Amino acid sequence: MKKKIITLCYRKIIDNSSTKAWDRLVFEDSYKEFKLQAQFYNQVKKYNTFAELVHHVKGAEKLHYLVSGAIVNYLKQLNEIVPDIANNIGRQFLIFKQFKFELINSDLRHIDKHKVAISFYSEPLIWHDTIAPYLLTSPLTVDIDETLTDLFAIQPYLTIHTLS
Amino acid sequence: MERKNFLRSLIIGAASAPMLMDACKKSSATSEVGTTTTVTGGSSTSSCAVAPTETEGPFPTHSPASYVRSNIVDGKSGYAFTVKIVVGNSNNGCNPLANAIVDIWHCDAEGNYSEYGGSGMQSTNYTSLHFLRGRQTTDSNGAVTFTSIFPGWYSGRATHIHVHIYNSSGNSLKVTQIAFPEGTGTAVSLVNGYGKGMSGYTYNKNDNVFSDDNSGIEIATVTGTTTAGFVLNMGISVPA
Repeated sequence: MKKKIITLCYRKIIDNSSTKAWDRLVFEDSYKEFKLQAQFYNQVKKYNTFAELVHHVKGAEKLHYLVSGAIVNYLKQLNEIVPDIANNIGRQFLIFKQFKFELINSDLRHIDKHKVAISFYSEPLIWHDTIAPYLLTSPLTVDIDETLTDLFAIQPYLTIHTLS
Repeated sequence: MERKNFLRSLIIGAASAPMLMDACKKSSATSEVGTTTTVTGGSSTSSCAVAPTETEGPFPTHSPASYVRSNIVDGKSGYAFTVKIVVGNSNNGCNPLANAIVDIWHCDAEGNYSEYGGSGMQSTNYTSLHFLRGRQTTDSNGAVTFTSIFPGWYSGRATHIHVHIYNSSGNSLKVTQIAFPEGTGTAVSLVNGYGKGMSGYTYNKNDNVFSDDNSGIEIATVTGTTTAGFVLNMGISVPA
């Protein structure tokens, strides 16, 4: 049987309820950057929320990209390891190089309305088997007789992104 | 089953349905409590997957936005280009404005901006994501300097650099663009669109941003050659 190659996507939601140090830095700095860059699209100072800007101002959807500059250095600090997602023995095992940053909501008046998402796209994995609720995978680069594998569950906000 | 008994079972079923719904509510509430006590890592989502169980670290440290740098080249090729901007306070005799935040961005030699690859729905590699975009804070002379490449041109616009100036608190003071001198011997004509020539170029007088600038106040001083590189000097006054 031809082996299936998959990549996973983990969409990490960060908002005012996030407590971890890394999450807080991303939350606070992305809000600061939003307040800076939103002014370009809000020169008449008419709008307060990201949703209003996207709805009324041409080009305001670029704020996703523009605000991402505030969090790129935090991504680098992860050393290419997808946060939060562990295999069944509790080790973080997913490697990423690709990401996507999104502003979900934000409000120039209240930081507690600020909510962002970072989607982490894993490097390719070989999907060997499915055992009960778990997927058995190994990194695509591994090519020896004995393969080191990871066993993990598909959990909320984690999905199979591509299949080949 | 007799018809009577069947009907009775339906009635009992209907009567017990709200209780069943309550039971579901209770069990889901219970499992949420269980989740918050057992899941030590992960996001705030409820799941029964194993949470990361590893030595803590690496520890995140506060980092400025990737824009905060003087060299904004990010591996883009083009003629060396130094951008020097001096910010003055028009509410204070145009004296130098210190501690102002200055954002600049411009296109590459081919006329593309960095956001063209990063604003869509696709994923992106985070290296060089924000090329030719930078942020500096003015010194006591109101000056900032960026190291970049000379911008190319694209259809419909004269050569330009975008500038957004904020005060030290991050409040917007000015959104503007810097225009370039034109004509024989100028940087724009020496660079010659990086070989694509000037056919179809939009000159300042026809540019939808610069055409109303009759006094040339938006045009910078640009000196240099393709071998030595170019230097742009521009003074911008803002009400601070």
